[in-house]
Amino acid sequence: MTTPFVKGDYDPRSKLVLVLGLSSLAVVFDYPRILLPLALATVLCALYLRSGVLGSLVRMRRLLWVFLAMGIIQSVFTRGGQPLVELAGVALVTTTGLERGVSIILRIFIILVSAGIMTTSNPRDIIQGLYQWRIPYELAFMVAVAVRFLPLMREEAEDTLTALQLRGVRLEELPLRTRIRTYGYLLTPLIAGVLARARQMSLSVEMRGFRAYPRRTSHRTLVLDGRDYLLMIIALLLVSGAFVAHFRPGPL
Amino acid sequence: MTIPLRARNLGYSFAEHLSPLFSGVDLGVERGEVVAIVGPSGSGKTTLCHCLSGIIPLIRGGVMEGEVLLDGTPTRALRPPEIAQKLGIVFQDPEAGLFFPVVEDEVAFGPENLCVAPVEIHRRVGASLAAVGMDAFAERNPHRLSGGEKQLVATAAVLSLQPDVLILDEAMSQLDDRGRDMMKDMIRAMRDRGKAVLLVEHDPENLDVADRVLMLHDGELATFDGNWDGFPRSVPGGSAR
Repeated sequence: MTTPFVKGDYDPRSKLVLVLGLSSLAVVFDYPRILLPLALATVLCALYLRSGVLGSLVRMRRLLWVFLAMGIIQSVFTRGGQPLVELAGVALVTTTGLERGVSIILRIFIILVSAGIMTTSNPRDIIQGLYQWRIPYELAFMVAVAVRFLPLMREEAEDTLTALQLRGVRLEELPLRTRIRTYGYLLTPLIAGVLARARQMSLSVEMRGFRAYPRRTSHRTLVLDGRDYLLMIIALLLVSGAFVAHFRPGPL
Repeated sequence: MTIPLRARNLGYSFAEHLSPLFSGVDLGVERGEVVAIVGPSGSGKTTLCHCLSGIIPLIRGGVMEGEVLLDGTPTRALRPPEIAQKLGIVFQDPEAGLFFPVVEDEVAFGPENLCVAPVEIHRRVGASLAAVGMDAFAERNPHRLSGGEKQLVATAAVLSLQPDVLILDEAMSQLDDRGRDMMKDMIRAMRDRGKAVLLVEHDPENLDVADRVLMLHDGELATFDGNWDGFPRSVPGGSAR
C-alpha cells in the first residue's frame, strides 16, 4: 500500500519549474510571433505530461467566450498600424489592435494550459515537493486547503441553490433583475456554510498536532531523477533562450 | 496512578450573561474503560466533548468553569499539539476533517505532525486503517467515499496518533451494520490495550460496548438508568454546538 517514495511520474517540482517558465514567458512577451510557438510548445508539453488539455478547455468553454471578448475589445480599442476594418472612414480594427487581441488570447491560453499541467500531480505531492524545497509547510498546506475549498464552495452553492428551488423558486423563469437579486440571497448561507466548514476543519487540523514542532516528518519522500533534471534544464534553457533572443541588441 | 481524563466541577456557558449549558460535571474515565454519554439533541454533548478535549477554552471561546485534567495536567496549561499527543477526538461531521486527496495521506497527517519516523508512520497508517476495516481504501480519494466510509477514515486518522484517550462524538451515526461492528471491535481493542474511551451516542444499540452509561440532561450529568421509553429526544430551543 504505502510506498516510501513516488515513482513513475515526473516530480511535481520539475513540472512546477516548467509551468513557471512557460507562464513567465507568456506574461513577459506580448508578440503573437513569440506567443504562438510558445502556445504550441505548451500544448506539446501538456500532451507529453498527459494533462487533459482538451478536457480542460471544454470545461472552461463558458470562460473562453470571455477571453474571446477580451481579445475583440483589445483589437477594437487599440489604435496603431494599418486599418483592417473601417466604418465610415473610422478604423475599427487595426493591425496593432488585432496583434494585441491575439496576444491576449494566446497569453491566457498558455497560462491556463500550463497551469493544467500541475493538475496531473497529486496535491499532496505538490505540498511535499514545496516542503522539500524548504517552503514552510504552513504555506504549502494552505495551498492544499485552498484547493480543497474550491469544490467545497461549489458544493455549498449547489446545495443552497437546490434548497431554494425546492421551495418553489424557479430561477430560470425569473426576470433578470430578480434573478440577480436572488443570487445575492445565496451569498449569506454560502459564506456562513463555508465559514462553519473552515472552523471545523481548523479544529480537526489543530487536534491532529498541526505545528506541534517547527519541523515535521513525512511518510513519503519525493526523489528527483534524471528525467526530472532534464525537464527542468529544458525549461530553463527555453526561458533563458527566449529572454536572450528578446533582449539582445538589434531587431527581433 | 492518575486518571487519564478527568473533569472537575466542569461548567460551560456560551457567554457571561447566558445561563450555563451544563454545570458541576464531575467525570473520570479510567484506563481500560469505555464510558458512554447519552442525552437529547441540544443538551450539550458535543460542547462537553469540546471541553474535555481542550478545544474549549484553547481554541473555541465561551465561559468554562472548573477544570479538565489530562493525565493530571489541566488542559488550560497545554497547547493543542500537546493535547494531540495524548487525546484524539473524532468529530460528528467527518467531511470537515478530510482535506487530502488520498486516504493514506489523510491518516498519515497526524503522525507526520508529531515527527514520527516514516517507517513507523507506514506501520501506523496500515494498522489504523485495518482497525476500522478500511485497509483496502488506502489509495482512494476520501471525498469520493460514502458518509460511513468517511467516518471510518476520519476515525483511522485519529487512531494513527495512538492516543491514550479517545473521544468519539457520534462517530457511528452514518455507519452501516458492518461499519458499526468494525467500530465496536476497535473500541473493545482500545479498551483491552488500556486506553480510555469516551463515547457520545444517541443510538441505544451502540451502547453495548460501554462499561458505564451517563446521561447529560438539564445541564447535569448523571448515571443513565437505561429507560429509553422516557428518554427526552430533544431540548426545546437547545443548541449545543
